Amino acid sequence: MILQESITTAVDSIRANLLRSLLTTIAIVIGTASVIAMVGIGSSAQRAIDDSITNASARTLVVYPSRGRGTQKISAAPLSISDADALMKDKEINWRIAPEIRGSKSLKYQNESISIQVIGAREDYLSILGYEIDDGNFFTQRDDLARKRYAVLGSSVGAELKTSSKALVGKDIDLGGVTFKVIGVVNSEGSSGWSNPDEQIYIPLFTASDRVFGRDRVDAIRVEVPNTYTPEEAMISIERVLRREHDIGPGEENNFRINDWSQFTDLQKQATAIFSALLIGIAGISLMVGGIGVMNIMLVSVTERTREIGLRKALGATHQAILLQFIIEAVTLCIIGGVIGVIFGSSLYFLVTVFQDWVFTIPFSAILGSVMFSAFVGLFFGIWPARKAAQLEPAVALRYE
Amino acid sequence: MNLIEASNITKDYSLGTQTVEALRGVTFGIEQGEFIAIMGPSGSGKSTLMNIIGCLDSPTTGTYHLNQQEVSTLSGDELAGIRNKEIGFVFQTFHLLARNSALDNVMLPLKYAGVSKADQVNRAKDKLSQVGLESRMNHQPSELSGGQQQRVAIARALVNNPSILFADEPTGNLDSQTGHEVMQLFHNLHKQGQTIILITHENEIAAEAQRTIYIKDGLIESDTRKE
Ligand SMILES: Nc1ncnc2c1ncn2[C@@H]1O[C@H](COP(=O)(O)OP(=O)(O)OP(=O)(O)O)[C@@H](O)[C@H]1O
Ligand SMILES: [Mg+2]
Repeated sequence: MILQESITTAVDSIRANLLRSLLTTIAIVIGTASVIAMVGIGSSAQRAIDDSITNASARTLVVYPSRGRGTQKISAAPLSISDADALMKDKEINWRIAPEIRGSKSLKYQNESISIQVIGAREDYLSILGYEIDDGNFFTQRDDLARKRYAVLGSSVGAELKTSSKALVGKDIDLGGVTFKVIGVVNSEGSSGWSNPDEQIYIPLFTASDRVFGRDRVDAIRVEVPNTYTPEEAMISIERVLRREHDIGPGEENNFRINDWSQFTDLQKQATAIFSALLIGIAGISLMVGGIGVMNIMLVSVTERTREIGLRKALGATHQAILLQFIIEAVTLCIIGGVIGVIFGSSLYFLVTVFQDWVFTIPFSAILGSVMFSAFVGLFFGIWPARKAAQLEPAVALRYE
Repeated sequence: MNLIEASNITKDYSLGTQTVEALRGVTFGIEQGEFIAIMGPSGSGKSTLMNIIGCLDSPTTGTYHLNQQEVSTLSGDELAGIRNKEIGFVFQTFHLLARNSALDNVMLPLKYAGVSKADQVNRAKDKLSQVGLESRMNHQPSELSGGQQQRVAIARALVNNPSILFADEPTGNLDSQTGHEVMQLFHNLHKQGQTIILITHENEIAAEAQRTIYIKDGLIESDTRKE
């Protein structure tokens, strides 16, 4: 009976004071929505990064020739194409191997001339790096063996020559004095930090070594490690082959070095950890802001409500009836605000995942946490003043200013 | 036995280091069916006394019996029950719930009395027509004149058929014409047997009561009955 009366009284009170109720609800909506959106976006971003780490193209070890110490120049025993072949021929290592020769050359087309990073590589280079061809073709193994003067352009090379990469397909270009035919364009990949694949030009490995750079020495050998190997295990196998090829005796140091992607991923994991800590911080602040909003509205109405409580008590309301009314009022507003906030926040988060092409995973703990927090704030700041007012003598509460 | 029996009531308000003695030992009795005016200068303790005998406040010392019951021994819920069933209060500033209709305001005491919804509506409508407001039931206080608001407040005070009707300067915020109408209402109620205790500053209004208690500096100065 008391409960039923309290419910109708609470609902009446919410309806009668619509503006105040609305403001309270909005504060809760903002708090809840921002937490859900923030935590959702954060966890999706983290997942996207995690996915790219477990991605095959990220499981690549890169072997470099050792840099000479101090003033010493390139080491006496550089990496060569035959090292790459030895790795490929090894019984244990039947993984994909991508040797590359790099160098800067001048590129001329009509009256334009630029300096460009040239990469001599094999036919599977693109797929090992996870790049794709946009227009035309990449060169084949036969093109490589035949030392064909074919070139594939990065997507923004054409623009630097005052045309477009695609428009250059089928055209002849001059690369360090040698004429090449453009046969394809690579998709735009974006800068990877150290180099920008969009501003590079790709030619067959043997063409590079015999016709352009005149050397067997390669600048790097990329090794694609299968999932069954840890980076450490893969490194041991690569070391075994290369130490044999380079005649390195026991106890002697390697004259090459292997870059491990896990160094890279450790960094990335660290970055995501910082990132999600930041998001949790922002979410916490949004909740605080929402909570302070609720608190303000509740406190602003204390005077008005204290008189109301005094009057209700003067008319015969028991302590319990008053508390029940206020609890129900606060809970109702918090639930309404919480639900709208969850819907709002999830929609915002959903939109972001659509634009970013991320996975949408509703962070249940965030929903629970934010709704509970705003409920707590609403309850606390709704009931605490009510409790205080209900303890006053009605005459005192009625005179409250 | 008297309906109200107050003896040696005192009330102190402490304001920091200072203590205000609002009542300094008040003793009197009130019988069923009396119409009493309480008078006195401003600050003499009239409202303080009325709040105590209306169970809206508690005395510092002294005993107070309402219907043979010692009020200071009652629990909060028992007091709420008494305020709900035995006492009707009319305030100088009306104290209506702002964004609620006249009908809702009058129904409020019945809600706390646990009366069924249909009865709440019927009884509240009855009282509103008794005070001449049957056509204004769905108006909010802001849509009513001062006199109409006070009549809503009187209907609310009467709706649960209280033993005593308390009114603290019910005409204080009204012009003399509307004040007169409200007083007429009290007279009619008194004729029907309602016990009424009323605070007023106006001799003219006090003259309408059977008995006048005059308070000064927290003490009863005189207590006079008309024949
Ligand atoms: N809550 C309070 N705290 C402190 N002092 C109070 C309080 N309420 C009343 N008083 C003091 O008690 C005394 C009596 O006040 P009370 O309100 O009873 O006077 P009153 O006779 O009703 O005056 P008025 O005719 O102006 O309404 C006054 O001196 C007043 O200042
Ligand atoms: Mg007064």
